[in-house]
Amino acid sequence: MEDDQRVIDLVKELVHRLLNTQSPTDSLSNRKNTNTATSTTTQYQQALKYAIRILSSRMTPSISADEAAMAESIKRQLATKGKSSDALTFADLYSKFALKTGSGSVNNKWAVLYLLKVISEDRRNHKTRSDSRVLNGYFGPALSGGLPALFENKLIENSRDFNSTFRVLSRKERIEKSLNDGLLNDNLSGSTDNVQKLRGMSDNLQKLRGVSDKYRGSNDNVGGFSDNLRGLRNRENLEQGWNGGVLMVSKDSENIRNIAYREFANFVKEENEVSEEVLVRDVLYACQGIDGKYVKFDKNVDGYVLPDLVKIPRATRTLVRTLCELGWLFRKVRGYISESMDQFSAEDVGTVGQAFCAALQDELSEYYKLLAVLEAQSMNPIPLILENASSGNYLSLRRLSVWFAEPMVKMRLMAVLVDNCKVLKGGAMAGAIHLHAQHGDPLVHDFMKRLLRRVCSPLFEMVRSWVLEGELEDIFGEFFVLGQPVKAESLWREGYGLHAAMLPSFISQSLAQRILRTGKSINFLRVCCEDRGWADAATEAAAAAGTTTRRGGLGYGETDALETLVSKAAKRIDKHLMDVMYNQYKFKEHCLAIKRYLLLGQGDFVQYLMDIVGSELSEPANTISSFKLAGLLESAIRSSNAQYDDPDILDRLRVKMLPHNTGDRGWDVFSLEYDARVPLNTIFTESVMARYLRIFNFLWKLRRVEHALIGAWKTMKPNCITSRFFTKLPQAVKLQLILTSRRCQVLWDEMNHFVTNLQCYIMFEVLEVSWSNFLNETEAAKDLDDLLAAHEKYLHSIVEKSLLGERSQTLYKSLFLLFDLILRFRSHADRLYEGIIELQARTVVPSLPSGDKIKPRRPSNDKSSEPGSWLGEGRKALTQRAGEFLRSMGQDIDAISKEYSSLFQGFISQLPVQQHIDLKFLVFRLDFTEFYRQSRESC
Amino acid sequence: MPREIITLQVGQCGNQIGMEFWKQLCLEHGISKEGILEDFATQGGDRKDVFFYQADDQHYVPRALLMDLEPRVINGIQNSEYRNLYNHENVFIADHGGGAGNNWASGYHQGKQYEEDLMDMIDREADGSDSLEGFVLCHSIAGGTGSGMGSYLLETLNDRYSKKLVQTYSVFPNQNEISDVVVQPYNSLLTLKRLTLNADCVVVLDNTSLNRIAVERLHITNPSFAQTNSLVSTVMSASTTTLRYPGYMNNDLVGLLASLIPTPRCHFLMTGYTPLTVERQASVIRKTTVLDVMRRLLQTKNIMVSSCARTKEASQAKYISILNIIQGDVDPTQVHESLQRIRERKLVNFIEWGPASIQVALSRKSPYVQTAHRVSGLMLASHTGIRHLFSKCLSQYEKLRKRQAFLDNYRNYPMFADNDLSEFDESRDIIESLVDEYKACESPDYIKWGLEDPDHILTGEGNTTGTVDPKLSL
Repeated sequence: MEDDQRVIDLVKELVHRLLNTQSPTDSLSNRKNTNTATSTTTQYQQALKYAIRILSSRMTPSISADEAAMAESIKRQLATKGKSSDALTFADLYSKFALKTGSGSVNNKWAVLYLLKVISEDRRNHKTRSDSRVLNGYFGPALSGGLPALFENKLIENSRDFNSTFRVLSRKERIEKSLNDGLLNDNLSGSTDNVQKLRGMSDNLQKLRGVSDKYRGSNDNVGGFSDNLRGLRNRENLEQGWNGGVLMVSKDSENIRNIAYREFANFVKEENEVSEEVLVRDVLYACQGIDGKYVKFDKNVDGYVLPDLVKIPRATRTLVRTLCELGWLFRKVRGYISESMDQFSAEDVGTVGQAFCAALQDELSEYYKLLAVLEAQSMNPIPLILENASSGNYLSLRRLSVWFAEPMVKMRLMAVLVDNCKVLKGGAMAGAIHLHAQHGDPLVHDFMKRLLRRVCSPLFEMVRSWVLEGELEDIFGEFFVLGQPVKAESLWREGYGLHAAMLPSFISQSLAQRILRTGKSINFLRVCCEDRGWADAATEAAAAAGTTTRRGGLGYGETDALETLVSKAAKRIDKHLMDVMYNQYKFKEHCLAIKRYLLLGQGDFVQYLMDIVGSELSEPANTISSFKLAGLLESAIRSSNAQYDDPDILDRLRVKMLPHNTGDRGWDVFSLEYDARVPLNTIFTESVMARYLRIFNFLWKLRRVEHALIGAWKTMKPNCITSRFFTKLPQAVKLQLILTSRRCQVLWDEMNHFVTNLQCYIMFEVLEVSWSNFLNETEAAKDLDDLLAAHEKYLHSIVEKSLLGERSQTLYKSLFLLFDLILRFRSHADRLYEGIIELQARTVVPSLPSGDKIKPRRPSNDKSSEPGSWLGEGRKALTQRAGEFLRSMGQDIDAISKEYSSLFQGFISQLPVQQHIDLKFLVFRLDFTEFYRQSRESC
Repeated sequence: MPREIITLQVGQCGNQIGMEFWKQLCLEHGISKEGILEDFATQGGDRKDVFFYQADDQHYVPRALLMDLEPRVINGIQNSEYRNLYNHENVFIADHGGGAGNNWASGYHQGKQYEEDLMDMIDREADGSDSLEGFVLCHSIAGGTGSGMGSYLLETLNDRYSKKLVQTYSVFPNQNEISDVVVQPYNSLLTLKRLTLNADCVVVLDNTSLNRIAVERLHITNPSFAQTNSLVSTVMSASTTTLRYPGYMNNDLVGLLASLIPTPRCHFLMTGYTPLTVERQASVIRKTTVLDVMRRLLQTKNIMVSSCARTKEASQAKYISILNIIQGDVDPTQVHESLQRIRERKLVNFIEWGPASIQVALSRKSPYVQTAHRVSGLMLASHTGIRHLFSKCLSQYEKLRKRQAFLDNYRNYPMFADNDLSEFDESRDIIESLVDEYKACESPDYIKWGLEDPDHILTGEGNTTGTVDPKLSL
């Protein structure tokens, strides 16, 4: 410390002198330069600072320290310039200088010579290059480093006055030159070979230390050193015009270098309160997330900072801050990892998160390794200057910045990922990471790929076990397939779904769908079909896909392999599922059964059912026992061809009573139900069955109407009624009878035409067509979804075409009005024909010509039981009563006829307006002969 | 409750066509000649119990009653390979075995005499069925037994089973050749009265036309009865397919007939069948699509009633209703296309007083009978042209009646005793009014027919309005 202080004192003195002595000479040559007192002091301060800086820097010339060669080179230089006399003078002076040995002489003669040479060369360069010097690469760094402009001016000015060979401006400049060369050299070589430079520098520093030690131990103390300088100046007497310019020359070249280093070291020390080693160590600490001695984490700034109080150069500060970014990033990454580790059991981390943490941890351990190496190196002291090219593994901040270049990139990436993934988990996390992996830089790309392989492996494992085993190993909700506990019947539709947020972007939507369906199929097979065969299919699929079922067979980046695995597995499982559905669970048979029973395709069965439940259903709904109806259903099955059907199918057919309101008849609440059972209730869900129920109710009503019409026909069937026309009734009554009954018949015909053709339409254009389309589609169906879609389409087409759809509401309503009217007509028709038969029964007895003869055994209960009361009233009364009856019936029928035709016209005119369904078939059938069109036109 | 149908085969002709019918049914259902279900006949879907019942030994017995006044035909059946098929209790042969001598009155009278025996058989058979749908009577209207006893049975059935359907397959005599039965017009007239009044549906099988079809369509120069009967059996079995192979529609006889017969009196149906083959004769195999079949069915040459052809008024004849029963593999969409084509080409002329259309029933084809044709079709139609057949019967009757020929044969029987020929006159009136009814149906004003014309002078009205139809000329 003492030495340092003395050196500083010496330098101060030197500068002081230089500046003082300089001013008179300068004023001669440069009058413009009027130095005021203040400017002098500032100049002094600046110069002093500059000098200390130069001295504290570790500059070393690049050429070897050969004294004689140096002298020779100077001589030659002078000679080539045509200044042979000067050369001679120099040779003379040099020989004297070289002979001077012993105490008081210059130790570092080579350095002095080199200094002189450099200065002279420098001057020459300046002449040629003039002011462009500032741009000169050599000086650039020095100037930007804070070289005061003062000297620059002087240099320029002095260069003009420079005549003599050895004109030395100042000692500082000389030292600067010599040291600068070294430093610049270092800089240059550093760019190519950092490590060597670092090593060299540490060597230099060591040497510098050694030098200062030598000084301390030698006789020549520092005081003597300054004396030496003075003595040297006197003895050498180099130049007359060298006013006060101090040339400090050591006794030998080694010495002067050491001195420079020493001074430089002191300078550095003075400037830096903290040594670089400490800083390096601090930075290393910071990079491990630990506060160093000086470099500490500042929460306010959110980063590692070197407190302002610590005095270090700004460049260093910047460098430290830059390096400490790594620490900040590391802190972030490590923070995330430890946070996640703490929550491993918690749901919001998940296996992907764990994998991510593990991958990060691995990356960090790489990083730790590096840090350990660096830390070991940081123990080595930093030499001030490169004395020897291979001077050890020391660690400076600059070296550190090189070391940190790659970890910095990775750490930055990790920090970004950590930032992005903090709130994410599972597939979403993998997707987020994947987004960052799309990078052109191979380093980044590889890094991300490595990371993603790790991160995705649990995800791919999930896919694998899902696709091959149907296992949803996803306790943390990370997989993009989402399972829900549902009843078996809704397993397929609602049990599993895609979780869009968890779907990593490297898995396409369609692939995800396929993955979802495959696993779903397995689970469906397992849960609903109680099938074990899927496992074989799965193993086969795995084998076919070329991946064994062992874990970790897939990885990120092997999307093709994944696709193959999934599609193969899907194909087999779907096929198996289809087989199970078709063969084991007889899907088609059940569809057919539903068509036959719920859609009334089994005509004879429906007919019997209609026959036997008819009377029951006419009762009020609340008096009907569904138990009894079930019995009737049973007997309908037994009496029809349905009895040959599979008992399993028949067992599923049930009577269902809809909830009834007051006033409802049995007709309103009766319906059939088909119990699809697991697994078929996946297709025949409750809502599907509800739609079937609607269709059933519609068709049942249609059947009922048809049944009613047939019933009406039976009362007026030919052999019941034809003979009545030929009985001997009063002409007027007979005519009226014929006309009324004909009107009734024609109306019946019209209604029957409507109902029959509606049924034909339902059968041909709705049921059969939809059914054959459906069969074709089931043939083509590859998976359950296809099947579901086909069935949905089938059902939808029936619903729509049967006018049961939402948009056909008005049509449907007018249809039901028509139905109700027809049912009402039936009772009128029945009454009419009952009346006619009764009328006849009371009149024909006496007038029957061959009755006695032909039919002696004729069962005449109706005749004999009530012996012709009408006849008793006389023929006139009879005629009157019959006339009245027929007239009133005729009016009723006319009224119904009018109502019917207006309703029907309304209905048929609505048909072509329906845009959404093709009803032209129905119109075509209903108006085949254009009877209605013509009657409309004539209206 | 299979809606059983009991078949009554009366007389020579009735038993012959009945036998053919059962042969055909057995073939289609895979029932052997002994009534045993064949091993191959396992494919269900068919309903045998409409026409058959199963005996205790599971063999199928036709619900058929074989009745004749002479033993020749029935003995033939009982000596044939099908002898074990029928229930022997269901065979009735008159004790004397003398037949009815082609005399309606004889047949009718004998029917009355044997009523107890006959009705016992019928009642027994009816009681053996759960929900009897009705009776089918097979007979000819020209002879004695089929016409006379058949008529008596019709009246009795109508009386006793008034709620049940009575359908007849009535063979009308060949009017082109001189019949060996000279009293054929009398028999026909008297039977027609019962068919008009006591039957619900009469499927007219016109021997004239059957012969013509056999000659023209099947290229048989001298068609035998067996050959024409096989045509009849084809028609009979085809018309019952929808009952035997239940589908969505037309599963019972009532439903089938109700649509065909909207006006009770016009219950005479004509039939057409295509493509026709006899005895598996390998005729030229034609392309059969639904359209082809439906179009051919509308051609008069395929129709088994001859009367409507070659008359001036044929053009005014109109269809009251049509039902096409199409058998075979049919794409349901073809039906609509065919209907459209038929309407476009105006191939069919319907009544104008109400809506009408061609009903189509699709039915399965028996899996046990191999046919060369993919699709075959039967048409059942109510056509006003059939009135010409009745008119012809009337005119032939008038010719005989004018001459008072052969009436003595009838006067021997109680109905015509004391020279009471009012039955003839009454029958004539009824047939005449039937003809009028059909004629009126050709008019668009059928509904009002009889209102302005209480004296039945409406034949002219039907004509004028029929010929000058303002809408058609537009």
